[in-house]
Amino acid sequence: MKASSVRVLLVIVPLAASARAQTIDDGLLMPSGVLGTGSFYAHESWSQYWEGTLKRDNGNIGTLTTQSLTWVAGYGVTDRLSVMALLPYVWTRASQGTLQGMHGVQDFTLAAKYRLLSTPFTERGTLRAIVWTRASQGTLQGMHGVQDFTLAAKYRLLSTPFTERGTLHAMVVGAAGIPASNYVPDFLPLSIGLASRRFSGRFTLNFQAYAGWFVTGSAAYTWRTKVTLDRPAYYTNGQLYLSNQVAMPNVVDYTVTAGYEHGRLCIPISLSQQRTEGGGDIRRQDMPFVSNRMDWVRVDGRVIYTLPAPRELSIRLGASRIVSGRNVGQATTLTSGLFYTFHL
Amino acid sequence: MPSPLRPSVLAVIVSCAAAFAGSGCDNTITSSEALPPLEMASLDSNAGSWRMIVLSSPTQFAVAAPVAETSAAYAVELAAIRTAQANLTAAQRNSIAFWAGGGVLRWNQIERELVARFNLPPAPRPDGTYPVPDPENPFADPQFPFANPPYAARAYSYVAVAQYEALKTAWYWKYQFHRRSPARIDGGIRALMPVGDLPAYPSEDAVLSGVTVEMLKVLFPAAVAEITQRAAEQRNAALWSGKAAASDIAAGLALGKAVAATLIARAGADGMRNAVGNAAQWQALADSAVARGEIPWISQESPPRPPMLPNFGLLQAWLMTSAEVTTERPPAPPSTSSAQMRQELSEVRQTVDHLTRDQLAIAYKWNDGAGTYTPPGHWNDVAAEYVRDARMSEVRAARAFALLNMAMHDAAVGCWGVKYTYFNPRPVQLDPGITTVIGLPNFPAYPSGHSTFSAAAAMVLSYLFPQAAPDFDAMKDEASISRLYGAIHYRSDIERGMEHGARIGGYAVRFAQQDGAN
Repeated sequence: MKASSVRVLLVIVPLAASARAQTIDDGLLMPSGVLGTGSFYAHESWSQYWEGTLKRDNGNIGTLTTQSLTWVAGYGVTDRLSVMALLPYVWTRASQGTLQGMHGVQDFTLAAKYRLLSTPFTERGTLRAIVWTRASQGTLQGMHGVQDFTLAAKYRLLSTPFTERGTLHAMVVGAAGIPASNYVPDFLPLSIGLASRRFSGRFTLNFQAYAGWFVTGSAAYTWRTKVTLDRPAYYTNGQLYLSNQVAMPNVVDYTVTAGYEHGRLCIPISLSQQRTEGGGDIRRQDMPFVSNRMDWVRVDGRVIYTLPAPRELSIRLGASRIVSGRNVGQATTLTSGLFYTFHL
Repeated sequence: MPSPLRPSVLAVIVSCAAAFAGSGCDNTITSSEALPPLEMASLDSNAGSWRMIVLSSPTQFAVAAPVAETSAAYAVELAAIRTAQANLTAAQRNSIAFWAGGGVLRWNQIERELVARFNLPPAPRPDGTYPVPDPENPFADPQFPFANPPYAARAYSYVAVAQYEALKTAWYWKYQFHRRSPARIDGGIRALMPVGDLPAYPSEDAVLSGVTVEMLKVLFPAAVAEITQRAAEQRNAALWSGKAAASDIAAGLALGKAVAATLIARAGADGMRNAVGNAAQWQALADSAVARGEIPWISQESPPRPPMLPNFGLLQAWLMTSAEVTTERPPAPPSTSSAQMRQELSEVRQTVDHLTRDQLAIAYKWNDGAGTYTPPGHWNDVAAEYVRDARMSEVRAARAFALLNMAMHDAAVGCWGVKYTYFNPRPVQLDPGITTVIGLPNFPAYPSGHSTFSAAAAMVLSYLFPQAAPDFDAMKDEASISRLYGAIHYRSDIERGMEHGARIGGYAVRFAQQDGAN
């Protein structure tokens, strides 16, 4: 149900740098010696959520709104290694019902991104894209007979020599997050986060074409530590636990981004998915719980524009929408932010 | 070109990762109280003479004399145990270890889990009305029951009283026949759980399995398969462990079921059937408050939900007559138009607007709202550790849970009666500027159910475990004030609730002082 916390925690809080997009899951690094810092405001809201797999609304919540203001900073330690830090302040509120919103400093995240590989694609080969179509027809006649007839057509969409086309980057990211205040994780969907410590390992491949377009694929696995509640017992996933400790399932996420960069403008579009490796569903008419299986698929579009003057300043606008989910709200998020770079 | 910063940055990342490993990549959570094998501190050999609650006497249910320990028929039973012990699987050993912790404690754990599973209100229909859980169709949506606090208080009490009556009867017959446990008779049979000098016939484990399974089937019918399986496991564990022979178990099972039938008959006529009420009656409650010049309670849920169990206050109490239920009630709450009410309302708002993190933790610790084992379950949770540590015999453990849960059931009856006498609004209704940090219960405010339950429970537990009385008292105060921190109760609700609960708990204490178990 709580899309916001998971998202801020794990993936997306964006980090633009030196006129380009940079997030934990993109394929870009800060140049050596460059420090960037800024802050981003996000407004996320949903009025429908998935109770397990059942999509519903709830008159005792109405629209759940989560706002966050996130301080971000990134620094190019070398041309191959960037570090970044994030710290969000989060507010929640429900438009209906009696439940009180919450607010506070959420989780501090520190990440290091290291480029393994950067290869110019020069006379390397040919990229082919192929579409298959297939028709099949079967018969079932007792123990014998003609089985399947298969008809296939193969059509070449594209065959382009990679000559001075672009550069392929591969990088790894390690990120650790830790709650930065003693907030309550046991009041979802109004809690500001899940209060688990996290460590994630990420692998990212990015192809940056000289013509301006780029594609990035990124996948991460996040380990999460137990969460401690203020109560001595809880029921989740078909079992009563006489403990204040909650085991948190780990999380996998994937993102595919395509975008175009021209002059001062950069426009990435992403499709991302989070899958939680376990956890129970929200029961019928129950409140969500911190270790629920929170899954979602989201589309995300951003525009990053670097001002002509001062050239160190960039602005960023974004919008995203959850298109399918489980135990999360169907959130629409609007973001805006400013980012300033210093050449040290 | 490596920068001088780089090693320190990596060190930070690595230390963050190490902080992780230290605090819980081991994600296993122990799901229930650890219960060591029960070595009874006392056999309580006179428990057959302890005072009954529902039964007339232990001879109300006759138990036929067992065959002699030297008979051929019994030799066959012993041989069957030897064979079983020679072929025990890991699952069977786990089952023995589980039930060795004590049947009363284990069933109390299981019941708390059932309450938590079934403590969910029905979801609204698209037209804004709410379906009522149907015992004739328990697997539907909404599931039956909605094990809310009054329902749970009653369920815990019926199971506990039924177990207690059945075990007192069993103890009576055990000391009529003095048949020993198989492990005491046959050197070829090992005692795989503690087998003391308690006579084995009829088996207390089988009595517990029989009485509990029948009660739980009525109270939580949708869990029938699991309950039945657990009960069979308990009987098998008694057999496999060398504690009871097949005839000990058969006699115990029959006795347990017979006692359960008596309690089920009582449950069918105790008033629960009519506790939900109907729309005309719900309106009459509001009209009555208006006629008295008061602001009536209104559901703050959307869509508005009918009030929870308005007629629960009419249920038959365990230890109080209906006249006593009425006379023990607290006085009327402050009028909704009084200066005192304005002052108390203001206190709620001031409190919730300036909560400390510690106060918030207290609100959550005692919230025990939807989806949990409820406040009575929380007090059973508290009691279980003291019962375990006292190494009580099964019959004495059953007494402790019966006294505790009768008091909390009667607290629910008393409290609900007052709630629907005054139909007093919650703080958020009188001041919409108040928001709650826990879910708002869907029934009138005065008096606080938590405070009534907790004071009754603390009274009984302080009698049973006097050395821990200050702890129970502190827990009672904390549970009660947690409702002010949660912004769902006024101070009057809490104070009058605690006083009311203590008076009701006193009935259980006075019963216990004269029940022959001291």
